[in-house]
Amino acid sequence: MGAQDLSFLSLTSLILFLIPVFFINRRLTLTINKTMITSIIRMCVQLGFVGIYLKYLFKFNSPVLNTIYLLIMISIACQSIIRSSNLKVKLFFIPVFFSLLIPFTIILFFFNGIVVKIDNLFEAKYMIPIGGMLLGNCLRSIIICLNSFYSGIQKDEKVYLYSISLFNNHIQALKPYFTQSFLAAITPIIASMATIGLVSLPGMMTGQILGGSMPTVAIKYQIAIMLSIFYTEYFSTILSILFSLKVGFNELDVLNHDIFIIK
Amino acid sequence: MIKFKSVYLKRKSKEIFSGLDFFVQKNEKVLIQGKSGIGKTTLFKVLLGFETIDKGKVSFNDLDIVKEHIKNIRRQIFYLSQDIDLRNERVNLFLDEVLEQNDLKNQDKTHLMDLLNFLDLSSKILNQTVTELSGGERQRIGLLICFLLDRPVWLLDEPTSALDDIMKKKIADYVMDQEKTIVLISHDDVWKENNAVKIERWV
Repeated sequence: MGAQDLSFLSLTSLILFLIPVFFINRRLTLTINKTMITSIIRMCVQLGFVGIYLKYLFKFNSPVLNTIYLLIMISIACQSIIRSSNLKVKLFFIPVFFSLLIPFTIILFFFNGIVVKIDNLFEAKYMIPIGGMLLGNCLRSIIICLNSFYSGIQKDEKVYLYSISLFNNHIQALKPYFTQSFLAAITPIIASMATIGLVSLPGMMTGQILGGSMPTVAIKYQIAIMLSIFYTEYFSTILSILFSLKVGFNELDVLNHDIFIIK
Repeated sequence: MIKFKSVYLKRKSKEIFSGLDFFVQKNEKVLIQGKSGIGKTTLFKVLLGFETIDKGKVSFNDLDIVKEHIKNIRRQIFYLSQDIDLRNERVNLFLDEVLEQNDLKNQDKTHLMDLLNFLDLSSKILNQTVTELSGGERQRIGLLICFLLDRPVWLLDEPTSALDDIMKKKIADYVMDQEKTIVLISHDDVWKENNAVKIERWV
C-alpha cells in the first residue's frame, strides 16, 4: 500500500494558481514576484536533489553515510540560524553547532531505540526524516532566541551594564534578557501543541495517512514526534545561549560589538 | 586608591584620553568639571571595566582592571550613571533584587524608611515601576540604592541635576560628610561650595 504517485504533468498543474497571484501582486504593486519565483524554484531543485540522494541513502543504509548526512544537515542549519540572527557565522558556528548536536543526538537515538524500538538505530528510513523534522523545527526557535537576546542587550546596553555594576553578577544581569528571548522562542511550539488536531493536521500525519498507515498509528507517531520536537527545541535553544556567551561577551562581561553583521 | 597613569583611549577616531594622569586617595572627594564629551563619564566606565583603554595603566586599590579582579573591584564601587539606567521593574522588587545580590537581604527595614524620609520620597513610590518615576525621583532612588549598598567608593555622574535647590544642598552636605572615596561629575554649584571637595578642571 502507498500513496498514488503524482505524474509530472499533474504536479506542474499546480503552477496554474500562480497566474492570479501574479496578477494580484501587480495590482497591489507588491514587488515580491521575483523572490516568490526564486523560492519556488529553490524548493523544487532542493527537494529534487533530496529525492535523488535519499533514494541512495535508503538503498545503502550505511550508518556512517547517514551520520555524515545528518552532520551536514546540522552544519547547514547552523549557518542559516546564525545568518538569520544577524550574527557572524565565524564566531557562532561552534557554539551553535554543539547546542544543536547534543540534544538532537540524544532525542533522536531515544526516539529510534526506546520509542520506536528499531534494531538498527541508524536506519535511514527513521533517522533521516525524523532528524530533519527535529532540526527544521529548531531553526526557528534558536533564531528567535539568539536574535532577541543579543539585539535586546545591544539596545539596552546601558541598563545591562548598570545592572552588572549593581548586582556584581553578570548572570543575574543577563537573566531578564534570557527569560524574555527564551519565552519568545519556545511559546510557538507550546501553542501549536495546544491546538494540534483542532486547527491543523500536521504534515507528518497527513503524509503517513496518505502513505497507507492507520490513522491511530499516525497519531501515535505524531504525539511522539511533537514531544521530541519540543524537547529538542527546548534544550538546543537554552544551550545556544549558554554556549555562545563566551563569544558574545568579553572577559569583563561587556557585550562584544563585533558579533553583529553590519548591514 | 584610584590611579590612572598616562592613559590613552580612542573611540571612533576621537581621542578621549591622551596621556591622562588622575589619582584619588582613600576617602578623598574629587569633583571633576569640564565641558561635555571630554571623557568624564568614560573615566568611570574604565574603572568599572565597561570600557578598555588603549595604552597606559589603570588600577583600583592596586588591582588591575582584569578578569581576575573585576568582581572584587565592582563589589567596592557604587556607580550612579547619569540617566540612572535602572531596569524597568517595580521599585520594591528591584530593590529586593539588588539587596539580595549584595547579601544585604536582612537589612533592617527601618533603615530604608529613614532614607526614604531623608530623600523626601513617599513609601508609595516602592509600588511604582521605574518608567513611571520622574527624573528627580529616579535620581533619588539611585541615591537611595547608593546609601543602602554603602560601598566604599562612590562614582556619581551628575547626581543632583534633577533635584531642587534645597534637596541639592541636603544631598551634597550628606554625601561630603561620608567616610568614602568619592569622585563626582556635576555642574551644580552646591558641590563646589563644600570645603571637603577637591576640584579637578578638565580642559
